[in-house]
Amino acid sequence: MKWIPNFNSSNSLRVIFVIAVFILLFLSSIAYKHNQDLNESSKLVMHTYEINIQLERLMSAIKDAETGQRGYIITRNGRFLAPYLYSRDKVNASFVTLKKLTADNPIQQQNLENLFKLIIQRFVSFENCLKYSEPKTYDKRKLDNYMFSGRIQMENIRFQVDKMNDIEKKYLEKRLKIYDQEISLSPIFSISLFLTALTFILMAYRQISRDFERLKIFNKKLLISSGLMAESETIGKFSTWQWDLDSNKIDYSDNQFRLLGVEPNSFIPEKESFLEFVHPDDKDVVQASMQGIIERKNLPFVYYKIVRPDHEIRHFKSTGKLLTDQQGSKILLGINFDITDEHLLNIELQERNKELEKSNKELASFNHVASHDLQEPLRKIQTFISRVSDADKAVMSDSAREYLSKIESSAKRMRVLIDDLLLFSRTNTTKKEFIKSNLNELLENAESELTEIIQEKKAVITTSKLPKLEVIPYQIEQLFINLIGNSLKYSQLGRIPEIVIESEKVLSADYPDILEQTIKKFHKITFKDNGMGFDPQFKETIFILFQRLHSKTDYPGTGIGLAICKKIVENHKGFILADSDPGKGSIFTVFLPD
Amino acid sequence: MQKNALYILLADDDEDDRLFFKDAFEEIKIQNNVDFVHDGMQLMDHLNNPDNKLPDILFLDLNMPKKTGKECLIEIKKTERLKNIIIAIYSTSSSEEDIEDTFIQGANIYIKKPSDFNTLKKIINEVVTVNWHYHTSGLNRDNFLLRLK
Amino acid sequence: MKLFIKFDINTICSLYLKHTLDKQNINFTSLGFGEIEIADNLDADALETLKNNLSPCGFEIVENQKSVLVQKIKDAIIELVFMEDSNNYKSSVFLAEKLNHSYGYLSNVFSEVTYSSIENFIILQKIERAKQLIIINEMSLTEIAFLLNYSSVAHLSTQFKNTTGITPSAFQRIIKKRRENLK
Repeated sequence: MKWIPNFNSSNSLRVIFVIAVFILLFLSSIAYKHNQDLNESSKLVMHTYEINIQLERLMSAIKDAETGQRGYIITRNGRFLAPYLYSRDKVNASFVTLKKLTADNPIQQQNLENLFKLIIQRFVSFENCLKYSEPKTYDKRKLDNYMFSGRIQMENIRFQVDKMNDIEKKYLEKRLKIYDQEISLSPIFSISLFLTALTFILMAYRQISRDFERLKIFNKKLLISSGLMAESETIGKFSTWQWDLDSNKIDYSDNQFRLLGVEPNSFIPEKESFLEFVHPDDKDVVQASMQGIIERKNLPFVYYKIVRPDHEIRHFKSTGKLLTDQQGSKILLGINFDITDEHLLNIELQERNKELEKSNKELASFNHVASHDLQEPLRKIQTFISRVSDADKAVMSDSAREYLSKIESSAKRMRVLIDDLLLFSRTNTTKKEFIKSNLNELLENAESELTEIIQEKKAVITTSKLPKLEVIPYQIEQLFINLIGNSLKYSQLGRIPEIVIESEKVLSADYPDILEQTIKKFHKITFKDNGMGFDPQFKETIFILFQRLHSKTDYPGTGIGLAICKKIVENHKGFILADSDPGKGSIFTVFLPD
Repeated sequence: MQKNALYILLADDDEDDRLFFKDAFEEIKIQNNVDFVHDGMQLMDHLNNPDNKLPDILFLDLNMPKKTGKECLIEIKKTERLKNIIIAIYSTSSSEEDIEDTFIQGANIYIKKPSDFNTLKKIINEVVTVNWHYHTSGLNRDNFLLRLK
Repeated sequence: MKLFIKFDINTICSLYLKHTLDKQNINFTSLGFGEIEIADNLDADALETLKNNLSPCGFEIVENQKSVLVQKIKDAIIELVFMEDSNNYKSSVFLAEKLNHSYGYLSNVFSEVTYSSIENFIILQKIERAKQLIIINEMSLTEIAFLLNYSSVAHLSTQFKNTTGITPSAFQRIIKKRRENLK
């Protein structure tokens, strides 16, 4: 059955899904990395800024120290020395922070170390400036010297700080550039990947929805066909069952239960439960065939009887076939037919056939009796009569002579009757051997058969060219003999019989009522005479067996001749017609297939 | 038995027919001897006995007990010593099938038993004459087919 | 293989006759028509031997004068029927001229000996010839009818049927089937 849909698309669907999932996973991993990078870079910026700030703080602390010192030196007011004193702590704090911040960068550590050294030198210069500015230890030259070197140191510190800042900045820029590069590559790529994934998913969706539509259609068909199946099972008196050989589970159609004479699903189908229904006579056969199913995986037709719960006996016929589905599981599908009606009909038919055979045999033996046994005594009667010589007759009484002649004519009539009857039955029983024959030849044979009466009546027979046809030669010859003989027999007194035989080809379509339409062309052969004719109202009855239009004494005949004609024409799948104009003649028309 | 007389054998189970036949032969002009057998078995025994003279013409009824005329005909045509005997089927049947079949099996003459004694005489006369012509005029006996009604 | 053999009965007969007579050392001259003249008179024993030697092939010494004449008539008829230009002759004239007797006389003798008429014998012979021609199957019925001097096919068919009881086509069919049957 072809209506099981092919859902192979599920495989491609699977592939599409896997690809899409992979793409999405890939995309999310890229996004994650992206995020990480962004985080990283902002951290980096923060880091740089922090270093920057700390360095600036360091610078400002030093500057504060410088400013404070200057103020003190100028004013000699001790209050100005406070920032200077705090600055040392601030420098130290900033330095510790910077040390931590640059822990990952050895170059910056080195630079920090250098900076620290410079700062220490600067503070040394501060100390010295303070020392030589003290009035007690005032030394103008040394003070100037230290002040000046402090100035240079200050510039060195600034330079060092700037250098460190530059390094951080450059480092930051470099890192940002790398990130930028990484980020700038991915958007186009990821968008295209995303689109691809989207396309795949859309395709999958389309496929799914299409399959779904198909599934819906097939579902509907399945519903209809299972409905039809159930209906046809009921009407056709058959049922189906499935036997899953792997799980050994048997399913019956509803009608299977009904055929067994029980309500659908009234018991759970099993091998044994079915056997209980089988007629005791057939149990062995059915059991053997069940065993056969398991061994040979198929079930040839098995015929058996079952007994319904109400003791009604039904005749069953079953067959089965092994089906292996796509999953490879083996299911035996079976059909049971309730053939009780056919069985009974068959029995009846057989009986009728026997009767028919018997009656056919009887008919054949009747034919034999008629042809041989019945003729024998008659022939002897006639022969013995013929042996009564004229001399014998001369010594007989007149009445005896007359009785003898009456016996003779009756015997003769009986002979004609038997001969004609035989001829009639033979047109049916003899083998029908069709031979291509020239009808003109057959007509000549017929005429030579009738030579005596033709000569006696001086009849004129005019014949046109007749066709060559596949016919049973003897029968067509007989047909011609009977038709011509008929015309000669019923000729008009005092008029020379004239018979005109003509032939033409006609189409069966032109005679739809009388001719077999499956045969296209026919030959229409007409026999026209100038005899006494008959009343046209009898034009159909004259072909019926024993139908006579004239009394026996007027015209000898058995009423069989035209019935034979009809039979012969029918044997050839043709048709015969008669028509007449009383007193002027009759016309017989024979249609024979080309 | 006269030396030059025509030797006729009739195989027929019907007593009356044998009588008609005998009477008819008595009335024809050609000298003849007629013998009778009553059934097919007797016929074959008679023919197969080398002491018996073979008939010039064998008249054979088709419907006979024990062995039918058709069976005898086939047997005779198969026997080298007998196959040249002129065989005339002498039967009640006028079935074309029977007629053609016996001709095909090798019969030379087919006679439908007449229902008139004079016809019988006429027929026998014709058979004997034609047969005599075939014997004396160098005619091809293979072509000897004669059907009489 | 099927062969149709045409033969001339007269030649075969003369050859066989010559062969048989030579075997018995009899001096003879053939006069035709189955008539021979023997130089010496044969004694009874020799005549009996000759009879016995001739009989296996159906030869008979015709002892009766009338029988001799009938044999002559038959031979003449066969000659006439098998002649190519038999159409040109009327059989009665042909026989009277050939045998030097009046046709009436010949006819009487023939009927007396054979219990059938010359006409019937001619018909028999013609139909016999027709049979042969039909079997050979080289000529159509029309040609055969013309060759055998029939006015029409119908005439031939009718005479064929009247003589043999069967139609020419049935004859042809039967012979054909009989041959198949023999195989």
